[in-house]
Amino acid sequence: MSPKAGKGLISGSKKDDDACTDEVFRGVFEKIQTGILIIDPDTHTIMDANPLAEYLIGRSKNELIGSTCHEFVCPAKCGQCPITDMHKDIHNLERALINAKGETIPILKTVAKATIHGREYLIESFIDILDRKRAEERKVALIAYMNESIMRVRTPLGLMTEDLQRLADQAKGGEYDAEEIRMQLQIHANNIRQMVRTLEELSAKAALEQGDDIPPEFRDFFIGK
Amino acid sequence: MDPDVPDDSPDESLLYLMLAQPEKVHDMTIAVLKRSVRKGCTPLIITVNQPYKVLARMYAKEGIGPEKYYVIDAITQYSGGVCTPDPRVKYVTNPSNLTDLGIAITEFLRQMPEQKKCIIFDSVSMLLIHIPTVTASKFLHFVVNKLKLSDVSGIFLCVEKGLDPVILSQMSTHVDKVMDFESPESMGPME
Repeated sequence: MSPKAGKGLISGSKKDDDACTDEVFRGVFEKIQTGILIIDPDTHTIMDANPLAEYLIGRSKNELIGSTCHEFVCPAKCGQCPITDMHKDIHNLERALINAKGETIPILKTVAKATIHGREYLIESFIDILDRKRAEERKVALIAYMNESIMRVRTPLGLMTEDLQRLADQAKGGEYDAEEIRMQLQIHANNIRQMVRTLEELSAKAALEQGDDIPPEFRDFFIGK
Repeated sequence: MDPDVPDDSPDESLLYLMLAQPEKVHDMTIAVLKRSVRKGCTPLIITVNQPYKVLARMYAKEGIGPEKYYVIDAITQYSGGVCTPDPRVKYVTNPSNLTDLGIAITEFLRQMPEQKKCIIFDSVSMLLIHIPTVTASKFLHFVVNKLKLSDVSGIFLCVEKGLDPVILSQMSTHVDKVMDFESPESMGPME
């Protein structure tokens, strides 16, 4: 189907238009990469679900139709629907979806009211943001590893630099005996060894924990390949 | 009043977190020790940084004899040095041995006969070489609780910006005051 100039996608008689509109919207409904549930606002039962909603929830359209929305996309209890009872707007808000396995999937949800065939319905549309959330958590974890590395290496290195300078002065001054100088040098050697070990451990943790999210070249860098 | 070193700590059993630039940490340690001794408070120095033998020489140079303080030394064995027996010194195998460190603190706080005593922890920053920041925070919380229960003052020395902001905020809630050490000159005459 190709749109004619000035008439958009839909053209022809009223009857043809209706049929064509239904077909177009059915096509969009089926193919869009957003989960959509059409809900009866009075009973909160699911009237229709598109394939992505079926996929994300993990139930077929037949199983979904007739169920209440509380079971899947809204954890609110009966009588506490944010839209129909609390009269709130839900527009691009982070919410959770409970799939067939009972897992909670983070979603970005919008609820709009729409009139279809003369009746008002709630259109719940949502996208899965699990990957995005994982990436955010991963980012936070990496920052935490970096912070920990800095705190446990950079600051002590600053102190060690000062201590080594003092040690050089002590050796030059001749007030401290050889054993006292040796002990301090040994402490610094042990500390440096410990810091290297700490960095290796933190790098390995950063690379291996949920390592799928880290690009391979970064992972190789972390683990010192 | 001197803004850099807690003057009221020996009298009021307060807990401090004292911060300084790395190049000023040594001066801060000496200044805090001198101030405590001058105020008639017997310090228990917990060192994860310098062995007792070196500390004793360093303090003697500053006019503070070994009869003025007690030491928990968690670094001599770590350096392979000899742990010379001394009733005023307890040795712990290494700074990550928090169990023994905790026991040594408890024992000394019980054994020290002096009325006015305080602990000087040297330093939180060096402890982080040996243990994760979360573990360090838990341990310091344990020490703080012990001091509060024993009504003993405590001064935790740390490098400025040497703590994770989260840990710093936790530590700030554990202690009574967080203070920045500027310079020994700003402290005025010590004796």
